[in-house]
Amino acid sequence: MDFAFTEEQQFFKKIITDTVDRMVVPKAREIDEKDEFPWELWKDFTKLGYLGLRYPEEIGGMNADPVTAMIFYEQIARGSVGFAQSVIMNILMGTYFVYRFGSEEIKKRCLYPAMKGEKVATMCFTEDQSGSDLSATRTTAVKDGNEWVINGTKMWITNGPVADFATVLATTDLSLGAKGLNFFLVEKGTPGFAPGQIIDKLGCRGTITGELVFDNVRIPEENLMGAELNKGVEYLGEILDEVRVMTAAMAMGIAQAAYNEGLEYARKRIAFGKTIGNYQLIRAKFADMATEMEASRLLIYSAAWKIKEKLPSRLEAGMAKMFATETCLKVVDEVTRIWGANGFANEYNPQRHFRDARFLLYGGGTHEILKDFMGRILIGKS
Amino acid sequence: MNILVLIKQVPDPEALVEIAASGKDLNIEPKFAINLFDEFALEEALRIREKHGGKVKAISLGGAKAIEALRTAIAMGADEAMLIEDESFAGSDGYNTALALSRAIEKETFDIILCGRQAIDADRGEVPQMVAQFLGLPHVGVVVKLDVDDGKAVVESALEGTKEVIEVTLPAIFTAQKGLNEPRVPLITGVMKAMKVQIPKVSVEDLGLTKEMAGPDGSKTRIERYLPRKKRPAVQFIEGEPRQAAAEIVRILADVERVI
Repeated sequence: MDFAFTEEQQFFKKIITDTVDRMVVPKAREIDEKDEFPWELWKDFTKLGYLGLRYPEEIGGMNADPVTAMIFYEQIARGSVGFAQSVIMNILMGTYFVYRFGSEEIKKRCLYPAMKGEKVATMCFTEDQSGSDLSATRTTAVKDGNEWVINGTKMWITNGPVADFATVLATTDLSLGAKGLNFFLVEKGTPGFAPGQIIDKLGCRGTITGELVFDNVRIPEENLMGAELNKGVEYLGEILDEVRVMTAAMAMGIAQAAYNEGLEYARKRIAFGKTIGNYQLIRAKFADMATEMEASRLLIYSAAWKIKEKLPSRLEAGMAKMFATETCLKVVDEVTRIWGANGFANEYNPQRHFRDARFLLYGGGTHEILKDFMGRILIGKS
Repeated sequence: MNILVLIKQVPDPEALVEIAASGKDLNIEPKFAINLFDEFALEEALRIREKHGGKVKAISLGGAKAIEALRTAIAMGADEAMLIEDESFAGSDGYNTALALSRAIEKETFDIILCGRQAIDADRGEVPQMVAQFLGLPHVGVVVKLDVDDGKAVVESALEGTKEVIEVTLPAIFTAQKGLNEPRVPLITGVMKAMKVQIPKVSVEDLGLTKEMAGPDGSKTRIERYLPRKKRPAVQFIEGEPRQAAAEIVRILADVERVI
């Protein structure tokens, strides 16, 4: 078995690490405090071309394999998870269906500008009564002549209030549950499409998350993002594993940022005449954190490799998401303990990582639902 | 305008460095970066090329890992790169590093050689001048402004509290100081090119040197030992009212530490 990154991947990791250190890390605190979409950083960063990470070179992308993409997701989240969420939405969920099913005209209008950061993308699943339970989606799409009419309200939409276009999950038949679901493209400026309330969040601040309202929004027939009607869930399955492993990679980004803070503090903070890194109980924390982070990364990168090789990866993606996120929660907690009361002070970074980590518990599926789903696969239907 | 940039891969500024038990070596955490001053040199080379056309070639002498520094140069925009890699160079000093670099440079066509004013690991700042000596070229160090035109360069070189303006005929070698420019962040197109590029390697023999000339036997200096940095004493808190505390601080500085 070969667990090593290729020389190219190692180099990519080095470059993206340096880029994040130079461009994102110095802004992270301000992004968190202001809790506004960081337009200036968005413009500077997206100019570099990373938003086309996953897409073919022929259309201006990088054609990065899933392992390389995970390296990127981890590093950008290490810099600022608030910024990372917006960036990753454009790279993955917000543009995937447009790339896969959009006409050339739609791609010219939405995908290519989104790959350059000229447009902000989003994807909308969640509603007030549905999240991981997609079959409870109440947003409807009704065919009227050669148009679709969308009605409903979406909640918790990353980039939603600032998005130029949205891939919207809606049902064509409420009685069909998950089998009536489809994705539709709705562009900013379409009558009836408007942002609603912005959510004031505990963490991941700087990503603007909120409501999107669809009130008799009429869109052309070609805005159905699917080759066949009512196959939305099937199409979602094409990126579901990647989204889960991406969430895990983001968790490792936060964990690493917190761990680094902990390390610096343990090497400098003096108690009873010695730096606290000399005490066994502190050393044990680092041994535990490093072990679980290493285990998380093995899960993340082996799941990413399976996705790359087109091997079954549903369970592995769930395992990676769950384990890495739980590890992240432990690490951010331990780091605030290592920092003592300073870990509780808004003046320093550990509290930000502590808050940010919480979001990954829900993003990409709650662990309660994920465990149920994985258990069902493992035990089988009886 | 053909520009050669000499770059060195150095330990990352955040890497842990400890003196080995022998006292003659350093144990350095294997985290590396392109030398900060060489990034200024590379950026300046790219800007000169953007203005005057030509090519930028990055050259490094180091172990296999140094290929990463050269890939970074390609990612930033260098047209070509070359690694001088041979185990014989292990333990070489500034003299035989400069000798090898100048042998490699002799085979190139160039108008300008740029490099950092010093490497941030050994901090000696001696290789560029020796390269200039071996090649019989003019050298201007600690450059904070560089204007190139019509076969010559007008250069601002930083001095203590002032600057010298120097005119020099090309070809010449310049060393970059902080303030010369702000190095760019690589675009993804550059990163992709750098990930795929095959960087040629040359050995001691390719440069017409013997293994003895390259390694410690060919060096003019030898590291005798490393001395640990004096440990900073723990913080001392002065108790009492501000006026009393201030008097106590002055007493300690004057009578105990004898620094005022």
